[in-house]
Amino acid sequence: MLSYPFMQNALMAGAMIAVLCPIIGIFLVLRRYSMMGDTLAHSSLAGVAIGIVVGISPTLSSVIFTTLAAILIEFLRDRFKRYAEILMSVVMTLSVGIAIILVSSGQANTNINQYLFGSILTVTRQDLILVLVVTIITILAVSYFYNELIYTTFDEDGAHISNIKVKRVNYIFALLMGLSISVSIRITGVLVISSLIVLPVASAMQFKKGFRQTLFIAVLIGLLDIMLGLVFSYVLDSAPGGTIALMSVITMVGSLMLNPFNK
Amino acid sequence: MIEIKNLSFSYTGEEPYLIKDLNMSIPKGQLISVIGENGSAKSTLVKLLVGLLKPLKGSIVIESRNVAYVPQRMESFNKQFPITVEEVYKIHLKALGLKDMDLIDSALEEVSMKNYKKSLIGDLSGGQTQRIFIGRALLGNPEIIILDEPSTGMDLRSQKEVRQILKNLRKKGVSILTVEHNISAAIHNSDYIIRMGDNQGVLYDIKTFKTNIQHEDVDNMLVFRKEEI
Repeated sequence: MLSYPFMQNALMAGAMIAVLCPIIGIFLVLRRYSMMGDTLAHSSLAGVAIGIVVGISPTLSSVIFTTLAAILIEFLRDRFKRYAEILMSVVMTLSVGIAIILVSSGQANTNINQYLFGSILTVTRQDLILVLVVTIITILAVSYFYNELIYTTFDEDGAHISNIKVKRVNYIFALLMGLSISVSIRITGVLVISSLIVLPVASAMQFKKGFRQTLFIAVLIGLLDIMLGLVFSYVLDSAPGGTIALMSVITMVGSLMLNPFNK
Repeated sequence: MIEIKNLSFSYTGEEPYLIKDLNMSIPKGQLISVIGENGSAKSTLVKLLVGLLKPLKGSIVIESRNVAYVPQRMESFNKQFPITVEEVYKIHLKALGLKDMDLIDSALEEVSMKNYKKSLIGDLSGGQTQRIFIGRALLGNPEIIILDEPSTGMDLRSQKEVRQILKNLRKKGVSILTVEHNISAAIHNSDYIIRMGDNQGVLYDIKTFKTNIQHEDVDNMLVFRKEEI
């Protein structure tokens, strides 16, 4: 299996996404913004459709559109704090509307399916480089702003009073979210990305550990989900995105049942 | 310690104001309780003092820059958040630019929670959590601590423990300003009382408050229960 170049690329891309998604996901889940992953994935689809119709790189247009959507949500959330959930629905509806109009125009439907369902087995070297760059940027940025990100997520008022520039931290996080999700959907698909952002973190939280350890466990679980998902997909000849999604649910159920440190 | 001049505030940015033309000089080194009925802008005043809200009109000048804040326990954090007490203290120390990790042990000792350093914050009881937040406020060695209803939602024993910690800090010279829902405890423990109501706040020294105000209408505000002191 490992002798096939497409599987090597798939495993490398999967490993990077397994690291990238939980790093972003842990802050999303703990901010109770699980829906944000879905919203930005749909924005990403609109970005892809725009790119295909306009004739520029769909990945590039996706990165730009998704990042703008993430920053728009953060801007509106800051203005209308009590309506964050509604704002996400508005942005998701706007994105889906744009995507549907462009796809149904007949100019974008040839390539859109691979973004909808993901195509981890057709990952190119260019895709790999892009995911690698975004993964490195995200790891460096999260490491640099680690303290500020945790404090702002745990206690935004306390962070503000402790002289942390909360707005700046939130916008940087929005930027990282936009980047991470837009580069991931080419590989995982719009419909699966949320499972990789939310479920490994939810599974890791069952172990009842501190923040750093929970993040580490979430990355390990993400790796497990993607690697096992790819192997099973190869063996069973099933769709990789769907198999990875099912693996993440199985891991989550397993964590809930075992709950080893919470008895 | 704190000088409030012509302070007006409303959440909508226009009239009617929750606080209107408030003027007050809050003295240094005292334990001051803010009391008042629900909706009398007690928590709003506290959030204005710590800078979480900005005055629409007027000004607040605080003598010291070393002010710590203890938020209302339940509104401020997610019980499922996977974070240990030690991690909470570490991120606070780093935010304050302090590197001495020994401060964590001394703050925990101050609030009698040294054995809980490795505990997840979500596993603690209400009273323990509140003590942890007070301990966090102590990390920067503050001159003023402002607390928003620190004893809300706790059993009587935990309420007493928290109030005792505040009294001990006051003895060490830390200025304390706390929103207090229990009027009898406020009278028993405080040096001064700020009574909020009718878009205004009035500062009383405790002697004046006891003799002039208590028998008029305080009993109507909240039931006076000695056992809760």
